Amino acid sequence: MGNQVFSVKSIAKSFGSEKDGNYMEVIHDVSMDIAEKEFIVILGNSGCGKSTFLKILGGIEPATAGSMVLNGRDIGTAIPPEELRRFGFVFQSNNLLPWRTAEGNLKLMLQIMKLKGEQWNKRIDEMLDIVGLLDYKSVYPHELSGGMKQRVGIARALVHDPDILILDQPLGALDAITRKMLSYEILNIWKKTQKTIIMVTNNVDEAILLASRIFVFSNKPAVITHEIKVDIPVEERNHQIGQNTRYNQLREEINEIVRAAM
Amino acid sequence: MAKNEAITARKKKEKRDPKGIIAPLVVLAIIYIGLEIGLRAFHVAAYVMPTPTHIIQGTIKSFAIILPDFLFTLKIICIGFCVAIPAGILLAALFSQFDIVVKAMQPVVIWLVITPMITLIPLMTLWLGTDPNLRVIIVIIQATPIICMNTLNGFIHVEQEKLELAKSIGATKLQTFVHITFMNALPQVFTGIKLGCIFSTIGAVSADFVSRGQGLGDRIIKFLKYSNFEQSYGCIILIAIIGISLYTVAEKIEKRIVLWKK
Repeated sequence: MGNQVFSVKSIAKSFGSEKDGNYMEVIHDVSMDIAEKEFIVILGNSGCGKSTFLKILGGIEPATAGSMVLNGRDIGTAIPPEELRRFGFVFQSNNLLPWRTAEGNLKLMLQIMKLKGEQWNKRIDEMLDIVGLLDYKSVYPHELSGGMKQRVGIARALVHDPDILILDQPLGALDAITRKMLSYEILNIWKKTQKTIIMVTNNVDEAILLASRIFVFSNKPAVITHEIKVDIPVEERNHQIGQNTRYNQLREEINEIVRAAM
Repeated sequence: MAKNEAITARKKKEKRDPKGIIAPLVVLAIIYIGLEIGLRAFHVAAYVMPTPTHIIQGTIKSFAIILPDFLFTLKIICIGFCVAIPAGILLAALFSQFDIVVKAMQPVVIWLVITPMITLIPLMTLWLGTDPNLRVIIVIIQATPIICMNTLNGFIHVEQEKLELAKSIGATKLQTFVHITFMNALPQVFTGIKLGCIFSTIGAVSADFVSRGQGLGDRIIKFLKYSNFEQSYGCIILIAIIGISLYTVAEKIEKRIVLWKK
């Protein structure tokens, strides 16, 4: 295993307060160490707090307890603003800004992070090319299909060259066929860009196809119930993965775990 | 790039589509001819409604008398309106910064929208004198609240996800406002501005009615006093033309800027 880039230690998150009677613990105690270039997939039932967990990792919300270590530095319960550049966040429902073209949506990241210069503008084209949408540069989101929008969403999360890519159920809002195609595309993007990826999903097949390690979350309040290493070599992960014996073995095993958690 | 050309071609076609111009003109012609025939056939008295042709003839004949009043009203509306737009947007921007201020100010703004500001004219005359140019103030206080109300509505209804995007990339409060909140509210800002056109026109003319001496509103009453019905109707039409022109300009600008709403 490579260098550890990011680790999470006993993260907990709760909302409300006990005094008001609306206290709710969403994440109880989650710890994980993430190595460089790893593809982590978090599996869990809907409403189990996995999205909240990603929001903490993506710097959108602070944790209520625990700490995080980024490149050997303890950063406490929230990602400090200057470190946000190391993260790229892909939202569940693409979350593109409708008033900006595909290119404009990517440019927003550079504008806000004050990344100026020719190399960054070139990077916009490169990223749109990686997701296969270079021809749609000046098209507004309402003119793109659901799958295309999500691909722009992925390109946007990559444009500022983050170390860690966070994907919050990126395929959740898509139809079955687009979903399948895009999952292979995410695999290719991972191979091409060599980023560390943390992704949340509720689809077992997707998880095995993509992950180096799978973490299964329990229902609310979330804890990690299982950690599964997916030992299928990257070269064997392609459209024929369905015939892979190890794949089917893992699939059986994980489905059993997920069923038991229901 | 083929796709982009297709889109621009489609946009041009939409602009050139002559139906949008011809259809209202046909309706106008039908009204004109219908009134001309109807009024003559039923011998409607001129003090009820003169025929369109007589209105036009009368108005052209007296245009030298009407012109100063027309220009005065146009000036009052335009200056008032141009002050009201930035004032309304700026106030909404200030209010929207704090939830508590939004809660406190929303009812006040609605109250100001509903109150007919001409009711203040007698008082204003008492405070500021009888200078007709002071009617600009009436237009401003009549149009600002409606622009403010709509803009504020847009500012406070931003999708949570869009704000999360801003957070995930470490946008400052100002960056979030400029790139997310303001752009998100633009369609509502334009709704406010278009309503502001209507409110400005109403404000200016009703101010003429109350404080007299100058303006198209005043001219209507003067013409009626001397039974110049054609000319009074002519003035009414001129007022409508001012309002429609302002509205059309606002709408044209909106179509240029708000490209993403279809």
